[in-house]
Amino acid sequence: MHRNSLTRSSQAWLYIFPALLILTLFLFIPALMSIYYSFTNFNMLSPQTRVFNGLTNYITLLKDPIFGRSLRNIGQFVIFIMPLQVGTALGLALIVNKKRAGNTFFKISFFAPVVVSLAVTSVLWLYILNPEQGLLNGVLSHFGISAQPFLTSPKQAMFAIIGISTWQGAGYQMLIFLAGLQNIPTDVYEAAELDGANAWERFIHITLPMLKPTSVMILTTTFIDAFKLIIQPMVMTQGGPMNSTITPVYYIYRTGFTDRQLGYASAMSVIYGAAIIIFTIVQRRITGDDNNVK
Amino acid sequence: MKHWKLSLLAVTVLSIMGLSACTAKSDSGASGDKNIEMWVQYSKEDPEGKAMKTNIAEFNKTNKQGYKATVQYIPRSGSGGGYEDKINAALNSNSLPDVLTLDGPNTAAYADSKIIQPIDKYIANKDDVLPSIINQGTYKGKLYAIGYSESGVGIYYNKQMFKEAGITDQELPSLTKKWTWDEFMDISKRLKNKFNGPAIDMQLSDHSEMSLYSLAPFIWSADGSITNKAGTKSVGYFDSAKTASAFQLIQNLVKDGYTTISPKEKGFQTGKYAMLMSGSWTIQELDSQYKDIDYGILPYPVSPKTKKLVSPTGSWQYAMSASTTKTKAAGALIKFLSAKNQMYRTSMKMTVLPARKSVSKMMMSKVTPNMQFLIKQNQVSGHARPVLIKYPQVSRTFAETVTKATYYKENPDVAALLKKQATDMQQYLK
Repeated sequence: MHRNSLTRSSQAWLYIFPALLILTLFLFIPALMSIYYSFTNFNMLSPQTRVFNGLTNYITLLKDPIFGRSLRNIGQFVIFIMPLQVGTALGLALIVNKKRAGNTFFKISFFAPVVVSLAVTSVLWLYILNPEQGLLNGVLSHFGISAQPFLTSPKQAMFAIIGISTWQGAGYQMLIFLAGLQNIPTDVYEAAELDGANAWERFIHITLPMLKPTSVMILTTTFIDAFKLIIQPMVMTQGGPMNSTITPVYYIYRTGFTDRQLGYASAMSVIYGAAIIIFTIVQRRITGDDNNVK
Repeated sequence: MKHWKLSLLAVTVLSIMGLSACTAKSDSGASGDKNIEMWVQYSKEDPEGKAMKTNIAEFNKTNKQGYKATVQYIPRSGSGGGYEDKINAALNSNSLPDVLTLDGPNTAAYADSKIIQPIDKYIANKDDVLPSIINQGTYKGKLYAIGYSESGVGIYYNKQMFKEAGITDQELPSLTKKWTWDEFMDISKRLKNKFNGPAIDMQLSDHSEMSLYSLAPFIWSADGSITNKAGTKSVGYFDSAKTASAFQLIQNLVKDGYTTISPKEKGFQTGKYAMLMSGSWTIQELDSQYKDIDYGILPYPVSPKTKKLVSPTGSWQYAMSASTTKTKAAGALIKFLSAKNQMYRTSMKMTVLPARKSVSKMMMSKVTPNMQFLIKQNQVSGHARPVLIKYPQVSRTFAETVTKATYYKENPDVAALLKKQATDMQQYLK
């Protein structure tokens, strides 16, 4: 028996070995290297002259106004994208959950933006949002609304990115919500209906509570994904105008790969990574115990 | 039991296969003292790649020392990755090729980090090479890289729209009859009034390197500068009154509605704007895809105070890696590729400006009048970008300054704006 369980345990290790190996090579080791580099003056062009410089990068980071601005920007993005994207996804899932004609069309339409590359949709939106000849301003003018600057306005640019990101990402979460909705037993609804509950009451007291595990999972993944925002500002605004759309990941990328300051970029990654882990833990505590997610 | 032994074998084999796939090496590397390797930043199928293929075949066939060059074509991706990523990876693994290409603004950083070595002695007829090319490749008095072509920018104008706005040919500037910023503003005003929209697309929506590349000549025309000559100070230079006059011009152009920060896509090409500030690459685009547009090219407007004509230049270059042990062979290849005939072939295939005076002469009779104009402008007014170690950061601060200046409501005081931006830039010049 003992021997048998040993064999089973070895087998289990054997099966996770390839995944573990890849994770170690491409995640754990780079993460540890990043922590090490964050205490050095690593310049990509002269890796041989890399020396330990203590907390210098971290002290510089505290005084870096662009990093501060990027944190404020991503804060704004996360605060708006969470309710917008999750709410939209739930709404779309409710629409396509009802059996009606054209459902497949709606499902494909809502999901289509997910399968198109972010860089491609960003370029498409650049045309749509062009203040001089964009489609959106053309539509707005029919309603008597004056042309908007969108991505060229420091006040509107981040909101434009929030809108685009909602449109792009909601389809994926819709699918997960849809799976969650279809897992709710119909007899619960029938019982509630017999008790005289109307549609709104059924939604509040049955749908939402029974979707909690799905919602927690979606909230967590949306939350983490939101912090990784880079493609849209990189393609559409290059972080501008006037740093109004620069995000931490874009700033880290730019510092590391354009400016070649890998040491400093690593310090930013360490701080930002730690912040995301802390936020995620807090968020999971707020939305419910980990054990509830099944 | 047998089952799990089989599993162990399968997993081990798969893991080894996966790992070996990750470390698979290209077979293009050559070994031996006479074999040299070169990396370039374009595809084999590009016009540039085709010219290179012919040049390399010629080198391998004609050189008397028996050197054999092989080229790896590593196209740049849209965001400038691809080729640069490969170079960066090679730096960390100490596996750079013998000869490589690099963009002009990278000269100082590469030379300072001892990635490339001086190539002065390998360049034939240096006096024949355009001064802008020499300046671009020179760091601390030594030539580290040689541009194999040139680029330039001019003011494209729509002849029909100019006519409709009542602008006569006699009013048009030329390389000998320069136009000042005031005259440029006046013509822009007439075009704006006639067509009820911006007169010129100055590509202000492009916040990349294009910003410094195309707009810095306004500063140089006013005798202003971005940094001091040594490239160590921006305070006192980038915020000088002369530099400010150029930024004031850019701000005024936006404020008065003569140009726009959000131009219509291909606005000039489709007859929506009467003027476009763009490079030699637009000639090819207009001549092949927008044949209906009857256009010409005008020189850069000059500062009314100095009347000095300055236009942008810049190109990719050949360089020799500092780590190569085959300096003679690598030198021979660079000498061959930067010679008159090979540069001529490259410039003609790519439809770009030449880097040698002798190549200009060869090209003149074979290119369009618009191309001829840019070649001539380049010769009389081409100005290299500053050679700075932290060029990417300086270029970005420059682009940020342009953006801020164009938001005239938020930043009405150009002098105050430049004072702050010069201080920001200074941190990259220590």
